[in-house]
Amino acid sequence: MMKKLERLAGIILSEAKSLGASFAQCTVSEDETKEFNVDGGKFSLMRTLFDRGVSITVLKDQRKGSVQLNRFDEDAVKAAVKDCIAASESAEPDPAWAFSDKACILEFTVGDPVCDTDALFFRTRELLENIAQRHPKILVEQMITSHSAGLSVYMNTNGVVYQTHSGAYSFSVMYSAHEGEKGSSFYSSDVTLACLDRPVIDCALMDRELSAVEQQIETIPLGDKFVGTVLLAPQALMEIVLFTILGNFVSDGSLIEGTSIWKDRLNTQVADPRLTLSVSPYKAHAVIGEDYTHEGFLAQDYDIIRDGKLVRFALSQYGANKTGFERAGSTGWNLQIPAGTTPFEEMIRKIDNGILVMRFSGGQPAPSGEFSGVAKNSFRIKNGKITGALSETMISGCVPDMLMHLREISQDVLEDGSVSLPYIAFDGVTVSGQ
Amino acid sequence: MLQEIMSGQKAAFSASAHTELRGQLNRSRRVSMLAGSIVSNSRTDVSGVSARVYKNGTYGFSSMAEYSDEAARTVLQAASENADFMDRHAGRGLPSLPPLGKKSRPLTQDIHDVAQRTYIDFLRALDAYMVEHCPGLISRSLSATEDSMEKVLLTSDAMDAHTILPRSYCYLIMTAETPDGAPVELFQAVGGEGTFDLNFTDPALVYPQIDALYERIMHKREGVYADAGKKTVILGGMMTGMLSHEAVGHTVEADLVLGGSVAGHCLGRKVASEKVTLTDFAHTAFGERCPLPVFVDDEGTEAKDVPLIENGILTGYMNSRQSAQHFGMEPGGNARAWLFSDEPLIRMRNTAVHPGTDKLEDMIASIDDGYYLLDSGNGQADTTGEFMFGVTMGYEIKHGKLGRALLDTTISGVAFDMLRTVDMVSDTVVWSSSGFCGKKQPMPVGMGGPALRCQVTIGGR
Repeated sequence: MMKKLERLAGIILSEAKSLGASFAQCTVSEDETKEFNVDGGKFSLMRTLFDRGVSITVLKDQRKGSVQLNRFDEDAVKAAVKDCIAASESAEPDPAWAFSDKACILEFTVGDPVCDTDALFFRTRELLENIAQRHPKILVEQMITSHSAGLSVYMNTNGVVYQTHSGAYSFSVMYSAHEGEKGSSFYSSDVTLACLDRPVIDCALMDRELSAVEQQIETIPLGDKFVGTVLLAPQALMEIVLFTILGNFVSDGSLIEGTSIWKDRLNTQVADPRLTLSVSPYKAHAVIGEDYTHEGFLAQDYDIIRDGKLVRFALSQYGANKTGFERAGSTGWNLQIPAGTTPFEEMIRKIDNGILVMRFSGGQPAPSGEFSGVAKNSFRIKNGKITGALSETMISGCVPDMLMHLREISQDVLEDGSVSLPYIAFDGVTVSGQ
Repeated sequence: MLQEIMSGQKAAFSASAHTELRGQLNRSRRVSMLAGSIVSNSRTDVSGVSARVYKNGTYGFSSMAEYSDEAARTVLQAASENADFMDRHAGRGLPSLPPLGKKSRPLTQDIHDVAQRTYIDFLRALDAYMVEHCPGLISRSLSATEDSMEKVLLTSDAMDAHTILPRSYCYLIMTAETPDGAPVELFQAVGGEGTFDLNFTDPALVYPQIDALYERIMHKREGVYADAGKKTVILGGMMTGMLSHEAVGHTVEADLVLGGSVAGHCLGRKVASEKVTLTDFAHTAFGERCPLPVFVDDEGTEAKDVPLIENGILTGYMNSRQSAQHFGMEPGGNARAWLFSDEPLIRMRNTAVHPGTDKLEDMIASIDDGYYLLDSGNGQADTTGEFMFGVTMGYEIKHGKLGRALLDTTISGVAFDMLRTVDMVSDTVVWSSSGFCGKKQPMPVGMGGPALRCQVTIGGR
């Protein structure tokens, strides 16, 4: 099969060259997915998907065009190349477009490309049973479990060839807790696994998260507005802090536009010295990490913030050429923040006035990093103790300020197959009730 | 266009199981321009075939990225095997779905493909207008898009259909700076159902929208933070549409009701002011074609309007054939799939609050101290009905008159609590249709409504 994909990639590149492209790259892939669905706590569907994809990018006189299709027949592929050339001919020339030119042939094997369908069904049913036994108030709104296996070939006209065999199991559970007519907010626990060697409920932070949601049926109002400590669970940390950093401060869009408030802050302190934020596609927590970027460069682990200092932007080669900064090692989102030394429970004990937030429902953070939204699945912390789950509580603050007022990083870490993130407490965040 | 090549496969449908076979082509075209540079210029075509087989309460599904007779045979067999696997290992012993009656709906329109240059030239004209007429912006961004779903559906006991739904938009994004140097952003989508060349015949027709957006961002850059707390506000029609979809619509999708949504306990109960009536429209609303009309869904159910709230009383859910059987309701055509490789899920079509009789100017004049909230960047809601929407554009209302613009803020609350406070409803409905609803699969949806006067918690700074 890999030979078939290579042959098709070769046809695409030579067709592009013959039509005048100065550069062309393509990715040709074939995937098979097995999936089980549970709805309202009951099995509802089994799916088998046979998929394929072709992605083509060409440069002609530094004008770029891209097309995607999912057909492998030679006529369709050649027509797509022609379409791609036409698209590029109508674009503006931009000298910033650039792709890997280090000729090489490399092969990657990631995860387990072979699906054990019976084991997947067994672990799915076991997870449903474990939830029912350990967490009887939980209603599984939807569970999707799957194994996706794929073969792909990346090839460009500079002689770069990557072959990838990949496969992984993923479990995504959306649930809420109920008692009579009362119910909690929904929450989602997700994990990607290379193998099915243990019960899924014991992976990532799933069991802990299910327990927490069970305690959120009865809620209390916040009471008076205060400025205090917000302890962000890994998911909320991602939603409030990391998405803002990556979306608004360090990536192509905001730096090319010039709207990033960190555009002049490289090699300066932007966070507490205890914070390091890395993108780590090759660390063990990343079951399927990025092997190469969409511009054909081999991926590398790199730090965005090291010991509180902004050391690298998350730029593509295009973004780097547009802004004059260095290209990032990876364009993936395998985020990692090294754990601290304090156990989660001890962090709670050290907070006098604050809240624990598991999930954040907020608007798009402003380009300045200011945010405001609802602290979902949250608990009140007073005098070192969790005093109850909170109803309708809003938090607002400014991410750059929070990073400088970091209080503590937990020893406990979420490793869900994609990221490795701890709980982090920040001071100076405004918390208000309805 | 898809050729109707699969009809011969109907003979292979199992006599004892409900079966759907669907061929589908999704086309997507996109050009994005950032500060005058083209940063995205792409064309995507995704086609294939899928089959779904229902057996005793569970489904088997399979899809293949190939639109051919052979692929149709393969997916029919794999879907049947999956249905058997589920019946064997997780069978629910439920009865067959009530048949809907065999009908057919032929293709009623054709669409053609627009060259990439058309999108680029159009954006260049808009960009040049922005450069000339919008001084003081720190950034400008534009996108031109078109997407379409074409489907050929064959069913064992419902409607066979060949449908196509194209839509196209220009997205305008402006960024300016407040006096103290903080960036503020505004966004506007222009367009709707139809291919790009039909919706966008002349760039000059979009210039008034650019002027209006520019005027607003110039107001916003001088804007103030809203005072936090519970306030009397007027939600503009775009905000009402967001509320209808996110905070109410999702809670009355029957699959989420079965998953524990708050609406499961509210059928027949008063959940809103008697001034509030909410419907998920199929293809025609208030005498006009809906933004994104749906005539038949992907289970072969002929689409009809689904009343959700009538004069404040919760009256119904949106259903698939299976959930309709569970609740003893009629399916209304809400089971929709995004790609050939997606199974139909319960989705909204065109969800809107019905207009009332109040005039917007009277509503503004009636408020001594509050806000007029015009537009939302995004919104999220819980199955409990709790919602949070980002407010990207709004104005103070002081002594019955519009005051200063607002900087970004949020509103939040519990949908049914908030709807009980509605005491004025304007006579004009505003629709939007440019976004995707996300629920396992993306789906184009329309949403809309009139302006509502109500009480809501505003986030302030």
